[in-house]
Amino acid sequence: MAKRKVSRIKLIIVIMLVGVCAAGAYAVYLDFAVRARFEGKRFALPARVYARPLEIYPGLKLNLSELTAELALLGYRQTSAAREPGTYRWRGQSLDLVSRAFVFGDGPQASISCTVSFTDDRVVALTGRDGQVALDLVRLDPALIGGIYPGENEDRVLASLSEVPESVVDALIAVEDRRFYSHHGIDPRGIARAFVMTVSGKSVQGGSTLTQQLIKNFYLTAERTMRRKLTEMVMALLLEKHYSKEEILETYLNEVYLGQDGNRAIHGIGLASVFFFDKPLPHLGLSEGALLVGMLKGPAYFSPRKHPKRALDRRNLVLAQMVETGSITEQQCRAAQAAPLGVVDRPPRGTSPYPAFLGLIHRQLRRDYRDEDLRSEGLQIFSTLDPQVQRVAEQALQERLTRLEKARSLKPGLLQGAVLVTATQDAEVKACVGGRNPRFEGFNRALDARRPIGSLIKPLVYLTALQHPSQYTLATLLDDSPLVLKQAGTGDWAPQNYDKRFHGRVPLRMALAHSYNVSTARLGLALGVAPIMANVRQLGVERDLPVFASSLLGANALSPLEVTQVYQSIASGGFRTPLRAIREVLTAQGEPLQRYPLNVEQVIEPAPNYLLTSAMQAVVHEGTAQGLYNSLSPDLDIAGKTGTTDDYRDSWFAGFTGDRLGVVWIGRDDNESTGLTGASGAMGVWQDVMVALDPEPLLLAAPDNVESVWIEPASGLLSAAGCPDAVELPFIVGSAPTRRAACGPSSLGGSIKNWFKGIFQ
Amino acid sequence: MLLLAGCTALRQEAPPAAASTNAAVVALLDKAQIQSSAGQLPEASGSLERALRIEPRNPALWQALARVRLEQGLYRQAENLAAKSNSLIAGDGALRQENWRIIGQARTRRGDLQGARDAFEKAAQP
Repeated sequence: MAKRKVSRIKLIIVIMLVGVCAAGAYAVYLDFAVRARFEGKRFALPARVYARPLEIYPGLKLNLSELTAELALLGYRQTSAAREPGTYRWRGQSLDLVSRAFVFGDGPQASISCTVSFTDDRVVALTGRDGQVALDLVRLDPALIGGIYPGENEDRVLASLSEVPESVVDALIAVEDRRFYSHHGIDPRGIARAFVMTVSGKSVQGGSTLTQQLIKNFYLTAERTMRRKLTEMVMALLLEKHYSKEEILETYLNEVYLGQDGNRAIHGIGLASVFFFDKPLPHLGLSEGALLVGMLKGPAYFSPRKHPKRALDRRNLVLAQMVETGSITEQQCRAAQAAPLGVVDRPPRGTSPYPAFLGLIHRQLRRDYRDEDLRSEGLQIFSTLDPQVQRVAEQALQERLTRLEKARSLKPGLLQGAVLVTATQDAEVKACVGGRNPRFEGFNRALDARRPIGSLIKPLVYLTALQHPSQYTLATLLDDSPLVLKQAGTGDWAPQNYDKRFHGRVPLRMALAHSYNVSTARLGLALGVAPIMANVRQLGVERDLPVFASSLLGANALSPLEVTQVYQSIASGGFRTPLRAIREVLTAQGEPLQRYPLNVEQVIEPAPNYLLTSAMQAVVHEGTAQGLYNSLSPDLDIAGKTGTTDDYRDSWFAGFTGDRLGVVWIGRDDNESTGLTGASGAMGVWQDVMVALDPEPLLLAAPDNVESVWIEPASGLLSAAGCPDAVELPFIVGSAPTRRAACGPSSLGGSIKNWFKGIFQ
Repeated sequence: MLLLAGCTALRQEAPPAAASTNAAVVALLDKAQIQSSAGQLPEASGSLERALRIEPRNPALWQALARVRLEQGLYRQAENLAAKSNSLIAGDGALRQENWRIIGQARTRRGDLQGARDAFEKAAQP
């Protein structure tokens, strides 16, 4: 009997022990599970990418609408006094502005309060508002233009708590969990209420702290059982033991579900901010933040797009509750309640307005960083993107393609294109457009569409010739008579000119200006294809290109980005500078990590580069690109080149002014004929971009070893000012012709003409 | 006396007096000068690049950048940047001579003595 009792007690103890062990093991399991889950969500801060900061100084060319657009992009608010950082006020032609403090690569910069005065689209004065001192320069904070996200979360805009406006946190706590900062993961009062509801036969609901809600979000099940609830509570307690309130709050804000866009779920307050307001999170105002927090209760039911009235009431309720907790005043509440919802009609397609530019940045970064660091370390990337130039380039491409399709009765949407705009001297990429729908994150034609470049190759042929001044000058007569090249293994190659005619003997400069194929091919064969392709590499294409006779007329395919690199080297005077999309990279804490300094390498002697550029100016003054001067001033002295490929599949234009280089490609994704030449297609886009940018003229300083000489073009012989058709051309010293034309220096005709000229001057 | 001091300083480091008529550029050039003297060479480079965005064809700015690269021990870059500065000069013999001096110093430091001699010879030509 006693024995039995003992063994029963033993059994009970064993059972209890097993139970405790099991519960303990389960708790350990839960602890492990919840931490693994939490860690997986945390610390994966994407790299954040900024546009170039706008620098304002007296003399800067900037019109009011450009500045207004910049301020909108920065999320600056127009107020009646402009006292807070990030606010402004227009007073006629002048602007009161308070910049935001910002940590740049060269250190922190305090907020600056200033007045910017304009006259005729130029900044004429810059004055500090404290003490009315003249300022030399004000650098605004840069606009956030996108992020590089962890793979599984491509479509998130992960935010650190420091970026979340305080009002959003206040609203969240007022509405969802007022004792958040004092409880340990669960809120006994809330539980008691939930328990009563459950026992009384109503559903299991309420009483969830933010911590519990976060855990519920981790396990995306709608299961509502007592067991589930208990598990949640244990996990909540465990989570709070391991992590701070801030860490939990940050993760919560990045996890919450806020709506649906087709089959795409909108998770996280950062993406919701873009999705509903088309703004980065730090720029959300009080009323906007309150709306998002209000929607947490039922994102579909309170959807501001589908049920604006409901959403408005809910938002205003949230604001009222914020007054209750004392986080805002009655007055702030009333002002915010009076504000419209502010939701953009159509959600933007991607998370960045500039996916093509972001693609370029990502490509450059991948050379220096591991992808996982880019996606998780919260790096700050300072890019070269100029939103004004980008906007102009996007608009020019879209509008021009639509007009071309209409004029040529093409199916709308058939044509595609790409545009790159850079600064000629420091090679900063200012704009990158990868297609006619700039927010489409798919095929990036600027980087990835490799197409035959047609006549864009010709400047390289002529450059190679001009590097031999004893044999070739701008005045050298080239042979443009029929040419047949017998090639072993393939058929004969007989290049034709665009006008299907042959032009006899043509000056080298004119052969380029009119883009004659036959004389160019003959010249290229004389020089050899290999040295020309070597020059292409020298100027910046970092891969070997096929060496065929047809390469001389542009059979080789390059991407618009590669073409830009080649023309960049010409535009910067023969100095190659790798195209730069990034200025520097800072850590999440603002410590400089890497700079991308301006480096140049002289790859072409100044003199032949100068001669080539002057021939490319003739392309626009007298040749295939003459049409540009219908809408741009001839004083710009633009250097450029048109390119067209077989059957009009590709239409190219590359050209530069004093400060801007632009490359445009137009074609079809199926690689069929567009019916467009370089001049009738791509050049129009280029022209629209430059008209809007109002560029600087191309004024070149002649190198020491270059002299100016009068030439009779038809004979290529020495002539003189005043002789019929005489042109003044640059020559590398010692390379100018020595034989005189009939009308030339010291010739009778020339002297008489000069004498007359002297009289009439 | 003051004039003399000014002259020697000019030889050593200071960019030519009127490097620009743009106050923003002058301010950035001054800033670069201070950063450079404090040994903050990457920062000095950053300030000069800001100035170059305002005046990309100003040879004095390219020259100042060449000088910073020389300080950084990046001799080939210093040479290339000085050549770039030269390519933008119309006239201004003094600026050109200074570029050749920088090229000469860069070549000396990377052991190209013949090249350095050639450069110093060009620097001596008015």
